[in-house]
Order: sequence, then structure tokens, then C-alpha cells
Amino acid sequence: MPHYMLLLRDDRETWNNLSPEAMQKAVEKYYAWRKNPFVVDGKGLNAGTGRVLRRENGKVNVTDGPFSEGREVFGGYYVIEAASFDEAVQLSMDHPHLEFGGVEIREAIH
Amino acid sequence: MLEHLFRMQAGRTVSWLAGLLGSQHLQLAEDAVQESMLRAAQSWSFEGIPEKPEAWLFRVAHNYAISMLRRGSNFETKMDDLVAAMETRTLQIEDVCTEEQLRDDELRMIFMCCHPELPQEARVALSLKLVSGFSAGEIARIFLVEESTVAQRLVRAKRLIRERNLSLGMPANGELRHRLDSVLQVIYLMFSGGYAVPAGEKLIRQDVCIEALRLARMVAASSIASPPVDALVALMALQAARLPARTDAAGDLVLLEEQDHTLWDNGLIAMGFYYFDKSMIGTAVSEWHIQAAIAAEYAKAQTPQAIDWRAILAHYDELVQMNASPIVALNRAAVVMKVHGADAALAELLPLETCSPLHAYHLLPAVRGHILAELGRFAESEIAFTAALKCDCSDPERRFLRKQLEVVRERQRAH
Repeated sequence: MPHYMLLLRDDRETWNNLSPEAMQKAVEKYYAWRKNPFVVDGKGLNAGTGRVLRRENGKVNVTDGPFSEGREVFGGYYVIEAASFDEAVQLSMDHPHLEFGGVEIREAIH
Repeated sequence: MLEHLFRMQAGRTVSWLAGLLGSQHLQLAEDAVQESMLRAAQSWSFEGIPEKPEAWLFRVAHNYAISMLRRGSNFETKMDDLVAAMETRTLQIEDVCTEEQLRDDELRMIFMCCHPELPQEARVALSLKLVSGFSAGEIARIFLVEESTVAQRLVRAKRLIRERNLSLGMPANGELRHRLDSVLQVIYLMFSGGYAVPAGEKLIRQDVCIEALRLARMVAASSIASPPVDALVALMALQAARLPARTDAAGDLVLLEEQDHTLWDNGLIAMGFYYFDKSMIGTAVSEWHIQAAIAAEYAKAQTPQAIDWRAILAHYDELVQMNASPIVALNRAAVVMKVHGADAALAELLPLETCSPLHAYHLLPAVRGHILAELGRFAESEIAFTAALKCDCSDPERRFLRKQLEVVRERQRAH
């Protein structure tokens, strides 16, 4: 079955403003979603670290980031299995992250 | 995951860390807790809940505090000592300190939050934030005020703690009594905020009532326990027991004397009477004792008809002696009507009409309207209920008052 990648865009400020109770509710919803049988893999990405590598003038430059492109970063990803792109979209419609930010879906070429 | 784990853990961890770091580093303790929650959210959302979630959160907050202390060369005091002291504590976290230690930290925290040098409204907000883990937004929703107002109160209170060097040490014997009174008052204000007639937000309000009860029981179980503390626990448990019966399926208000007693929470009633009996030790009678005695009278009655209004009035007579508040006098007037009739009750209201704290308080004209209707003076009753509806009150109360107004108009037409 084709694989699709879900990229979660995150704004850390949104999370910072949640009460502990609201945060717990969110965690429970995310983890319940993670346990769906169609989810192949999923990881959170550390918001505080990141490196960007670029080759410039024959030399690889390593910079911290990406922080410059606004406050939104990728907070996590999933790989899910679905019969079609439509189904992948349908399966993602109830993702709890949609309360906090955007979800980007990409199809893995197979 | 345990219900309310994050919220409970937030209070415990702030209290514990502030105990280690000192009240001067309250902000660092709060930041560390916030960081631990954020990291948990990032990790647990994908990896699931760890085996010992409390220990996980303690450890992350503790390590964050140490790393911030190490980094913070701008601190004026000897950070090295503090870091060293913190590190020796790391070992203990694995066993998640003892319950006893944690309770002691929470107790010290609430006693600091209720320091007489802090303004009264700030004490309530601060306790809910630091000891109980509610956010400024949640506190604002409970007390129906703006979130920015709560945030400001919190900031000012924390500045006062820093500037006046208010510590987490328990007050000395002479002052302890006084401080305990403040703590009990704050806990009951918390409870009353949650107990106030629900205007939406039913769940969070119930949570606050239960939290206030937990804090009072914690004080009651500590070495500074005294009969008034037991009386306060009894009062809150007996009142909280009635929460399920207070509104009907449509969310409309049900008067105490018309409530379906089978809906009352028997566990809380049993807890209430247990603490009520305990509070009888000794001879001193506090206001909490009398209020608990009134709540106990209602709870004792198996049916609304069985309520012993004379006994309740006797308690109110005693309460008025100790607390000259017009609200107490108003509540008493409603009981006077049950015992001595509407004419007598109306006379009780007269001195309250000019009482400024009751100005714009909807229950004064509402009680007056009720009494006048009982006397068959429907035209005046209508005026009173109309006046009540002009005051601020919650939606269920408004619906209730409107219904009363309609009934009075109906009876006036039939007359």
C-alpha cells in the first residue's frame, strides 16, 4: 500500500499558552491518533535544535536553524498507509494537531 | 494517564522546586515546570506515556532548573552552592521523594501564597496557579474576570514575594494562627468560586471545588490541623455533595428545598459528617463550625419537608453574632420566613435595603420579591423581581428569576 508522510507545522507559542490540563488533553488525543493501525511510524521533533547544511563555494556550511523562517517549525511527522491520496487526506481530517497548526501531506513515490 | 496528572504535577513540582531553590527563584521553578510539560507533550504524544510519568516530569524540570542555574552567571548569589545542593537531590527523584515531603512542600507553598502582605484577590489566584496548577485563563473563567486581570494580579503578587522576600518558611507560632485563618479563607473563596451558580464551564468549576476540598483535607491531615480546619472540610464536603442536584437536565436552577436528595453524593456526605464530628473536639466555635452546622442540617433531612428550619435559624442567629456581613443577614432573612412567616422576614430586609455592599446584588430584590409574593403583594413583588433582573447574574439564575416574574404576573392577573 502507498505510504504518505504527514508533516506537522508547529507554533511553540500556542503550546506555551496551554494550561497543564489542556496540554494533558492534547497529549492524550495525539497518542490515541498515533495508535491508529494505519500509522506506520511517527516521531516528535525537538523544537529547540536544528541544523541546516549547505554547500557554498565547495565547502559545507553548517548553521543552526531553521529559525529564520518565522516561528513555525516542523514539530513532528508520521508515515501512514493509505490506498489513495484521498484516503490519506480523509484519515488525517480528525488529527488533533489541526487545533494547533497545519498538517502537510506528501505522497511517497513508489 | 491519571486524570489531571499534568495539573496536579505542575503544582507539586513548583512547590518542590521552589522549596529547594527558595522563593526568590519562584520564576525559575515555574519555567522549569513549563518546560517539563512542553517536553512531555512533544515526547509522549508520539512515544506514549512513560512508566512513571510523575518521576519523568520531576526529573526533566529538575534538570532544566540546574542547567539554567549553571548558565545564569547573572545571578547575584552563590549559584554553585545551589547547583550542588540541587544535584544531591537528583538521586531522590528516582523514588519521587516521599509523599510526605511533597505534601509538606505544597503546604508551605499555600501558606506563602496566603501571606498577609499579599492582596486578598491575589492570594486566591496565586494559590490556584502555584499550588493547584490552574492557568491564568482558567482562573479567569472560574471567577468571571478578564484573563489580563488575573495575569496582572499574578505578576504583581510574585513581584511582592521577591521584593519583600516572603519566604516558604512556616510562620512562627504567634503568627501561625493568623496565617491559618487566611489559608482557610482563601480555600473557601476558591471553593465558592467553583460553587457559584454555573454559567457554562461546569466541569472546571467542579474541579475547583474538588481541589479546594483536597487542599483543606491536606491542611487537616498536617501537624497544624485544628477543629476549624475540620469544620471547613465538613462545610465544603456537605455543600459539594449537593452539586449534582443543583441544576436539572435543562441546566435550570433547583432550589435547595426542592432538590432531589437521591442525587446527592453519599460519599461526600459521609466525609462531611466525619469531619463535622471531628471538628467538635475542643470548645472553641469558629464561623466554619456554624456554617458547617447549617450545611449539616440540610444534609440530615431525608426529604425537603424534613428540614429543621428552627435549628437552622438558631445557627444563623449565632452566625450573625460572629459575622455582621449583610450577605449572612440576607440568608438569615430567607430562613426567618420559614420559621416566623413572611411579615417577619420582610422586616429583616428593611435595614439591608440601604446597605451599600448589597447594592446591585440580585439576591436582595429576589428574596424581597419572593417574600412579597408569599404575602400576596404581587404588584410589589413584580417590581422586586424586575429590579433583580437588572442586576448581574448567571444565565441559569436569570432564567429562574424570569420564571418567578412570570408566575407573579400570572397570579396577579388571576387575583
